[in-house]
This record gives sequence, C-alpha cells and structure tokens, in this order.
Amino acid sequence: MLAAPWVCRSCMVSLRRVGRAQFIRRFSTESAPNLPPALLERARKLTVEHDQLTAGLENDFDPKKAKRMGEISRVASALKEFEKAKAALGELHGLLESDDAEMRELAKDDLAATNAQLAESSHNLSVALTPKHPFADMPCLLEIVPGPGGTEGRYFADSLFHMYKTYCANKGYRARVVKYEASDSDGSTGSEGEIPLQEAVLEVQEQGAYDVFRGEAGMHRVQRVPATEKSGRTHTSAVAVWVLPSFPESDVTDFEADWDKPESDFYIDPGEVKSEKMRAGGAGGQHVNKTESAVRLTHIPTGIAVSIQESRSQQRNREIAWRLLRSRIAQKRREEREEAARQLRNSVLASSQITRGDKIRTYQFQQDRCTDHRSGANVHNLPDVLRGGETLGKVMESVQTWLVNKDIQGLIADEEAAAVVEKKRK
Amino acid sequence: MPRLPPSLFWRASKEISPLAARLLPVCRDLQSAANELRWIREHVKSTQSPVPDGLRFWSLVEKRATGVPLQYVLGNQPFGDLDILCRRGVLIPRPETEAYTLHIANILTKSSSTPLNILDLCTGTGCIPLLLLHSLLASPSVAGPISLHGVDISPHAVRLARENLAHNIRLGLLPASIQGPNSSSLGSGNPSQNPNPYYTLKFTEQDIFSPSFLSSHFPSSQQPSTQPSTQSNPQPTSKDMPKNDLDLLISNPPYISSSAFTSRTTARAVRQHEPRLALVPDPISSLLTAYSRESSHSGGSSQKVYESCHPADVFYARLAEIVGMVRPKRVVMEVGGWGQAMRVVRGFVVDGWGSHNSFSTHNMSSGDGSGYESSESKSGSGSGSGSDGLLGSGRGQGEYEIEVWRDEPAGENDAKHWAVVDQREVAVRGRGLARVVYLVRRDCWEEDEGRKG
Repeated sequence: MLAAPWVCRSCMVSLRRVGRAQFIRRFSTESAPNLPPALLERARKLTVEHDQLTAGLENDFDPKKAKRMGEISRVASALKEFEKAKAALGELHGLLESDDAEMRELAKDDLAATNAQLAESSHNLSVALTPKHPFADMPCLLEIVPGPGGTEGRYFADSLFHMYKTYCANKGYRARVVKYEASDSDGSTGSEGEIPLQEAVLEVQEQGAYDVFRGEAGMHRVQRVPATEKSGRTHTSAVAVWVLPSFPESDVTDFEADWDKPESDFYIDPGEVKSEKMRAGGAGGQHVNKTESAVRLTHIPTGIAVSIQESRSQQRNREIAWRLLRSRIAQKRREEREEAARQLRNSVLASSQITRGDKIRTYQFQQDRCTDHRSGANVHNLPDVLRGGETLGKVMESVQTWLVNKDIQGLIADEEAAAVVEKKRK
Repeated sequence: MPRLPPSLFWRASKEISPLAARLLPVCRDLQSAANELRWIREHVKSTQSPVPDGLRFWSLVEKRATGVPLQYVLGNQPFGDLDILCRRGVLIPRPETEAYTLHIANILTKSSSTPLNILDLCTGTGCIPLLLLHSLLASPSVAGPISLHGVDISPHAVRLARENLAHNIRLGLLPASIQGPNSSSLGSGNPSQNPNPYYTLKFTEQDIFSPSFLSSHFPSSQQPSTQPSTQSNPQPTSKDMPKNDLDLLISNPPYISSSAFTSRTTARAVRQHEPRLALVPDPISSLLTAYSRESSHSGGSSQKVYESCHPADVFYARLAEIVGMVRPKRVVMEVGGWGQAMRVVRGFVVDGWGSHNSFSTHNMSSGDGSGYESSESKSGSGSGSGSDGLLGSGRGQGEYEIEVWRDEPAGENDAKHWAVVDQREVAVRGRGLARVVYLVRRDCWEEDEGRKG
C-alpha cells in the first residue's frame, strides 16, 4: 500500500487533510427568476390594501393611514410593473404562434428583451416586498477593532479605518472621527505609515448611511507578509468592524435646554403626566392648614414617579419634580436606545467571536485580491480597495445585493411557511 | 383623630430626633414631622438673632408642638414665587389659592387687555394681589399699567398686606413701585389718580357689606344703588359702563359654616389658631343690622337674599350684588367644596343673583333654594327683569358664562365635564375638589374660546 514501511501518525493525518482542504467559495445563490406564488400572493394583497387606502384617504385624511400607504405604495407600483411585463410576454407568445413569418421574427427579437424586463421587474417586486431595515435611514457609526494577535492586525485595522474614511470622502459622505486611539506609544508604524490601532470609531453622518455600510459589519481577514516579519512568512490577522445606527448626539446641556421640543430626550407630553399634590383627604381650602407641600408626578406611559417634598413652597417642589422627571425619562430613553444598540452589536458579532474563522472578507496581498465570502465577489487591485476607490464600491455593492437577496429568501420562506399554516387551518 | 401608636414616637425619636417625637402629635406622621423639623432648623439658621440658635430652635419646635401652625411659628409661607409673611390674626395662604391664582393670572396674560384693573376682596395677607402682580409683571405680554386693590375688613390684615408688599420688594421678588409701598396707605379711591405708570397696589380697610363700599370704589356704579328702586328705572348700568372697566374681581371670602367650623370638617389647628373672622361669615343679623339703618332701601331687599341663602354663602350673595353693579370682566370666587359651589351656581342660575331685580324685588318667595321648579324660576327671572339676569337659561346665553374649577384647573388636557344645574350646563374643569366659581363676561369668554379654537 505504502512505499515507506512506516509513516508517522501525525504526518499521515496531515497527508489525509490535503485532499480535503479545498477552498470552498460560498457563492451566493441568485434569487429565482420566477416569483414564488406565495410572494406574488402577498404582493396582490398589499396592492388591494393600497387601493383601499387610496380610496379611503380621498374622503378623510388620516396620518396613520397615509403613512401605511406610503410604505406599501412601492409594492403596488412594482406589482403593476410586473404585471405589465407579464402581459407583454403573453402577447409575444401569442405572436410567436401567428402565421405571419415576419411577425414571428419580430416577436422573437423582442422576446429576449421582454424576458429580461420581466426578470428585472420580478426582482424589483421582491425587493419592494422585503421590509426595509428599521435603521436603514439613519446615519451610522463604524467601529473598527483589531482582533487578537500582534501589531500586524492593529496596523491593518488602521488601513481599514483609512479605507472607509477615504471611501466616504470619495463618495461625498460627511464623516467624523469620533475616536481614534493607538494601542502603544512607542511610535512604531507599519510599512505604509499605519499606526497600531486600538480602536477607532467613524461616524458617517449621512442619512441612510446605515443601509450603505451595514454589509461591512463582520470579520475582515488580512493575509500578507508584514513589514515586521523577518523570515517572509505570510501572516493572517483579523479586524472586527461593527456598524451601528447613530442616534442623534445627546448632549445633556443642549437637550435639557430645549426640553419642550418633542424630539428631545427630555421632552414629556404634559398630558401623559399625572400630577398629585399629596394632601391628605378632607375638605381642603380654608378648612385645613397643612404644611405638606409634596408634589408627586407620575409619567403614565413609563410608570416613572417622582415625589418631592424638599421645600415648603409647592411651586419650587413642582419645578424640582419636573426637572427630575425629565432627566429620569431621558435617562431611561437613552438606556433603552443603548440597549437596542448593544443587542444589535451582539447580533452582528459577539466580542468572543473575534477570530480568524468567521470572516466575511479577505484581503490577500500576495495575490492582490479582495474576496467577499458572502457575495463571492472577487476583485483585484487591492491598493485601490484600500484607498477606498471604485473597487471597494464594487465589493460593497455586491454585498448589498447579496443582503437584499438574503432578505428576499427569508421573506419567501416566511411566506411559504405562513401559507402552509393557512392551508392547515382550512 | 386616631390615636398614634407609641411605636411611632419611638421611631421618631430614634430615627429622626427626639424633637421630631414632640412634633408627631401635630404632624401625625413621620415624614411631615421630619420635614417640619428640617424647615424649622433651616429657618433658625437663616435668621440672625442674639439668642443662641439651639435655644431658638428648641423654643420654635416647642411652640409648634403646642399646635400653632408652622406658618405662624416661622412667620412666613411661600406662595408661588413669593414669600408671604404670616401672623396670628390673619388667615394663612393656602396652596389651593395659590393654584387658582396662578391659573387666573395665566388667563389674564393671554388676554392681556392692558391697563389691568384688579380688585381683591377679603385679601387677608394680600397674597392674591401680590402673586397676581408678580405673575403679570413676569409676563412679557402685559405691557400697560396694572392697578390692584386689596380690601379687607381687618386692620391687622391690611397692615400685614402692606408689610408683605414691602417685604417682597425688599427680597427683590417684586419691583418697587415708584412711590414706594407706604404711599399705598394714602390711596383713597380712584386708582387712576395714581401717577405710577407701572403698577399700583394698595390695600384698604373696608367692609364690603357697607353700602358706601361700592360708591367709594366705583363712582360710576353709584347710580343704581342710590336710586330707590331699579324697578322704576330698569336701565342696567352696563349701558354706561365706566371707563375703568374692572378686569378681575377675585375673592377668597369666609365660607365655612359655623356648623362645619365646630365639626371635624375644620382642622383643630385652624379652629384654634386662625381668625374666625376670615373663615366663618358673621351671622346675617349682625352683619346687616349695622347698615340697615343707614340705607333701608337696598339693605332691606338684600337682607332677604342674605337670609334666604345658606348661612355660609352670604359673602357670595354680596359678591354677586357687586358683580351685578360693577360688571367686571372676570370673577373668581373661592368656595369650600362641591356642595357650596353648586349652591353658588344655583344662586346665579336659578335665583338670579346679581341681576338688579333679584336684589330689589326678590320675587323668589320660597325660602329654601331646593324648592324651585325650573319653569317657575325661569319665568320669574325672565319676566321680572327682562334680560337683566347675569346668566341666561342655557349655555352660550346671558351676559356671563359660569364655570366651576377644581383644585387643579391648570392643564388643558384635564378632564372637563358638565354639571347640570337646573337644566343649565355648567363647565367643570380640572381635578380634585371644587374650589372656585368662575364667572366670565360674554365678550371675554368669546375671546378666550376663540383663542383656544
């Protein structure tokens, strides 16, 4: 069987691995060109709702209904588009069977174009059906943190940071460096003058930036020979990128100043507050002369209550109580927001997950290649990628398409499951 | 009063201070005992005296422990943003009064028809006009001169009210009027004589039941009261309304009936330490006999109204009479609760209080207010006086609109509901106990409603 009389066990294991160690490229699967019936059904339902709402809004305006209509109008128009293309295709098929040879010829020419149109409109329809990400319209924060390992990863983190910064500059997005920290101060720099990055946060202040960058979240892997490497070995390091929606900056003093504006954290609708002067029962007025000046405010939606009896003056107590209630509610709102952001961060990437394994993208320097493992996009010209040029844009676009398709797949699965349940019920 | 468990005393002396246990019998619970002890300590620290602080503190706590209201012990009471001096013999300002005073000040600043002319009857410490002045001056929409006048029968009260004006000016809570507060004592009648362009606030000692009261204040309203009977001359005064239109008539009159005063309804501290004069209306006979001789014509007819109404409501009958003569834009009258509020509303709606007719002829022959039939009363006030009644038979009719405010009339979102008094709907605003009967002249009411809409 083997030429050698004896082979070391560990060598044998490694030999066996050679055969299996194939590079598996996880290409994304395109969404099916013909729409699944479940999805089509949903689109029809929404269109009916849309028509009803339009008719209803003509009579009396209701902001809630109008909002809903705006949400589903996308679906309605996409469905119209789709049905038009379908009707055109049917017509062409009819023509193909006609006796006139010239007519058949013409129909054949048109067929390809109409087919493409149908595919596009069906794709558009499925895109319209996928619910928008709740944070899609928001500005975003890009957090870049190097994975465990030496300075190589830290240098690359800096490269990535500059990549996104210049990308924003190229695209004309307003970006602001929130945090940019080097890990040590010995002044060493990478081959291209990078600093060993500890953590960097870049805020992209453009509306809808979250939608653009949400595909960037995950492990970015780099494979290269670092400048510090003396024996020329290729190192593999990882950098984690988090993408979080950026909520309006909550500067306490600013916001407290304009607490009467509804968008402020400190804003409270006075109608939602129950105010009690905690006087004991009885006739009140001239009948009693209690010194109790306690004021109790209860914010009904959250159940936060404040009661103040510091001063003899009820007026003063009320002022203090309102200020306290406002800041407590603002605190609660901020905590809720932070909790939402934290959960989002956890869903993107648990901090324990910063490993070289679950990468989303690889930057291979020796092969001058950048590969996204989700969309399967494979581009060369790595320097342009790291300069945040068009090549990076291409990769990011491919990821966007992949995300939308994934959402569509999820939606189709959901719809089909719902349809099955519906059928069972019947 | 229920007996306090000894454990409470033990806890008070253990957890707060032995002196807190001394305050427990009057404060009734740990929290307020602790609060009052703190306030007394703060007061002692903030005032200068040759007597050592510890001794003063102890003596004040001992004084409070005997049941003297804290406001008399410390000598002051915060009222809105102001600091009102309190002294034995003058009623302590109540938080309810503070609430509706701020509310009416808010209404006045919104309508802001300057110059403002305000009259407070039964002013006591002067807290109402002082707080009104403070709120109106703070509002940017009030530009013109403000003229306020507080009236009280008690010389102590008038003196204290003047002191309060000076006190708040000294504290910087109110701006000094140009002539200084002392000149207010010289004020004898027409406020427009006062050349101060900013504000005038004066307090005078007068009995509002005296027939000379109206003529001294409102020379223009003298006409109807001097005429022997309005029946012979049914022309109402509203035709020749005086130039110095009264914007607000506000009053916190005595409104506790003598039975409620002696019963548990009235707190012991109030009964024992606050002036009965400010709380319980005098028996009608003593109130009026003094004047019946002076002016038999009007006194005689008014007396019937006073006698027919509930003994606690005599002041409202008189206020209604003044309203009928002077026709102020707005009237705010503090009342003691829902029952009294309804009696007063009924007085205006059913008995036709404030119409000249009701005080001159008094065609309601039956004695008790409950016996009226709606049709009877309508025809009574309708036929006898023409359209002279202050309130019409329905909402949106008559010269005045009437409302009842509860303890917290403020918030716009507060429940507004309707009480039906003799088939007439009366708006009830706010939450808590009924506290104020509010009358607003039709033109101002329409203006207010227009602003809301």
